[in-house]
Amino acid sequence: MRSEREISRSSVTRRGFLKRVGATAGTVALAPAVSLPFVSTALAQAKTLKILQWSHFVPQYDKWFDGFAAEWGKKNGITVTVDHIPHLELPARAAAEVSAGAGHDIFAFSGSGGPHLYEKHVVDLSSLVSEVEKKHGKVHQVGRQIGYNDDTKVWSALPAYYISFPGLYRKDLWDEVGMKPDSWEDIRVGGAKLKAKGTPIGISLGHSVDPNLSYRSMLWSYGASECDQTGKRVTLNSKETLEVVKLVRAIYKDAMEPEVLSWDDASNNRLLASGRGSWIHNPISAYRTIQKANPELADKIHVWKTPAGPVRRLACGSPNSYGVWRFARSKDTAIEFLRYWTDNWVAIFEASTGYNHPLFENLVPKPMPILSNDPTSHPADKLQVLETADEWHATYGYPGPAGPASDEVADNFVIVDMMAKAATDKATPEEAVAWAQKETELIYRKWSAA
Amino acid sequence: MSVTAQAAAPRRLARSRFTFDRLEVLGPLFIIPAILYVVVLVGLPFLLALYYSVSAYSIFNPSYTFVGLKNFREVMDSEIFRRTLANTLIFTISAQIIGLLLGKIGAMLLMQEFPGRRLARALIVLPWAVPVSLATLAWLWMFDSLYSVINWTLVAAGLIDAANRPQWLGQEDLAMIAVATVHAWRLFPFGVVIFLAGFTSVPQDVLDAATIDGAGFWRRNYQIVLPMIAPIIMIAVIFGTVFTFTDLSVVYLLTKGGPINSTQVLGSLAFQVGILSGDVAHGAAICLFLFPFLLVAVILLLRSLRRREI
Repeated sequence: MRSEREISRSSVTRRGFLKRVGATAGTVALAPAVSLPFVSTALAQAKTLKILQWSHFVPQYDKWFDGFAAEWGKKNGITVTVDHIPHLELPARAAAEVSAGAGHDIFAFSGSGGPHLYEKHVVDLSSLVSEVEKKHGKVHQVGRQIGYNDDTKVWSALPAYYISFPGLYRKDLWDEVGMKPDSWEDIRVGGAKLKAKGTPIGISLGHSVDPNLSYRSMLWSYGASECDQTGKRVTLNSKETLEVVKLVRAIYKDAMEPEVLSWDDASNNRLLASGRGSWIHNPISAYRTIQKANPELADKIHVWKTPAGPVRRLACGSPNSYGVWRFARSKDTAIEFLRYWTDNWVAIFEASTGYNHPLFENLVPKPMPILSNDPTSHPADKLQVLETADEWHATYGYPGPAGPASDEVADNFVIVDMMAKAATDKATPEEAVAWAQKETELIYRKWSAA
Repeated sequence: MSVTAQAAAPRRLARSRFTFDRLEVLGPLFIIPAILYVVVLVGLPFLLALYYSVSAYSIFNPSYTFVGLKNFREVMDSEIFRRTLANTLIFTISAQIIGLLLGKIGAMLLMQEFPGRRLARALIVLPWAVPVSLATLAWLWMFDSLYSVINWTLVAAGLIDAANRPQWLGQEDLAMIAVATVHAWRLFPFGVVIFLAGFTSVPQDVLDAATIDGAGFWRRNYQIVLPMIAPIIMIAVIFGTVFTFTDLSVVYLLTKGGPINSTQVLGSLAFQVGILSGDVAHGAAICLFLFPFLLVAVILLLRSLRRREI
């Protein structure tokens, strides 16, 4: 049996506990301060470059990019870190990095508004863009829309690439009704015939990115747009918009199933993959996935340009660009890497299996690899039509620049909801257009005062 | 000189021992981390949000220019916001009602003796323990337009026609029911735990006496048990209301506020405007609409609680 003295010596006293906790906390708190001089010296000696970009829909491209960046780093004695996150998380991550004033050196913006929104937080890349233009030809209008501010004459990002938005259709089914989905009117008429046969077409009417692109494409093809060329005056309330809203209403009722109201960005891919869909408006990623899962079905799926309207044929592409933060530790290294990346575009194009479309005129000469001859597709020239994608693509904000206002209209799904309201008879087409005009004006007015 | 220093050391030690032995010193010392936590992670962000909401701050133009109530007026001009405000109330109230109802039924079942009761009690907290993103993604597949297991079951049971299957996330009314149900599903384990705690605190002799006096199940339930455990339920309601009112994850993951903003709630709209679109000032103004509603709700509930305790 232990004595009382022994017990009191061995037990934890309140004072003892406090002392130990205090000592531990003190050590933990002091550790960084003590090690700081050594750590900062080590950091100063090691050159690093940190890149953040989305997890590409073609995983093979990410793998290629990581190896490409690491190899460049090895050649130049730079430790390169590439982080990939889902594209929907990029805006929140950009906001967090800017608030903290720390993070990556190169930030890949996915979508339209990023470079304009963060103009005061990124390095002016005008000289890099001008250099790339001299070497690789004129920048595409999508690149100018997303990267250039005509008021400040600043390139806040290097236009990287855009993702094209063609139509993917079941040739066998469309042949049966004796049509080809070449115009939006064809989509309405042919879609109705195909829905009657149990194979509807599908454009989402839910809150997701794809319908933001599809319905803008439709508006532009009919001569309507959300704003004018200055990007400051809202022009949505027009007879052309009304015509498109009525068309969408007809397509929804005659050629689609109500399920499109709940769709996310993968739902139309699933419709096509199920064998039940006859046409979707989507990048070729949907086709690539089906090629792996169901080669027989993939052979029946063909790719054609975005449908034309009475005024023009124009699709809203999904743009990507690279910005370099002002707080970046390795600004020059970042710019050097972007220069090198741009000089290797054929490899980029091949690694993305033709998914990334270049934004400078001569980066990938025609005939373009993969698109002109894709050994995995039958026939091998199935994707050749995408060589002309530059002729029929613009992006958010068209005919003006993309910017925070056009981005917020997209973030709030105003155009999609305008279509959905009329399609589901929650409002007449006229009421839906008036509603969208008001909501869009509120957003544009707010940003023009910013 | 050295003798004086040697004598002073034990005196300092003794004084510090005496200081740490005093409850009025030790008490505040232990509470300081909690106060710091609330001040730094709740108080300061709240004050910052207040300041942002009356400023012109955006990521595009990080200016703290004072604009008064302009942001609030502009936010209220939007039909999307007005609809969002109504949705938030519907979402909160319905999720509370469903969650508490399920919680009560669950607790009543778990009060019964049956084989595997302990395992059932452990499993019931799973919705609470599973990360919200994972759980919501599972629900997303259950509500999927093509592959919904709910629809498949209903079709297989002959209850609905496959051609007219419900679009859980595509029809405005069903979408709200879906998001409220998923949130209630997340809340209900908390309800079960609260009700279980309440039920076990009701003295058995009171229930026995009521039974002898002829009180049946419903009378015992509504006139004895519920009034006795009302203070505990109030705490669950306060917690659940705050938890639901400020939630955006379920809505954002399931519908992103669609279709046609029928499931948009204040949290998701504020995130959309303030973070995704970079308009921090208007995002903060949207967020602050949560505050008066929550304040009034919490004051009413706490008052009612105090009255009952008296």
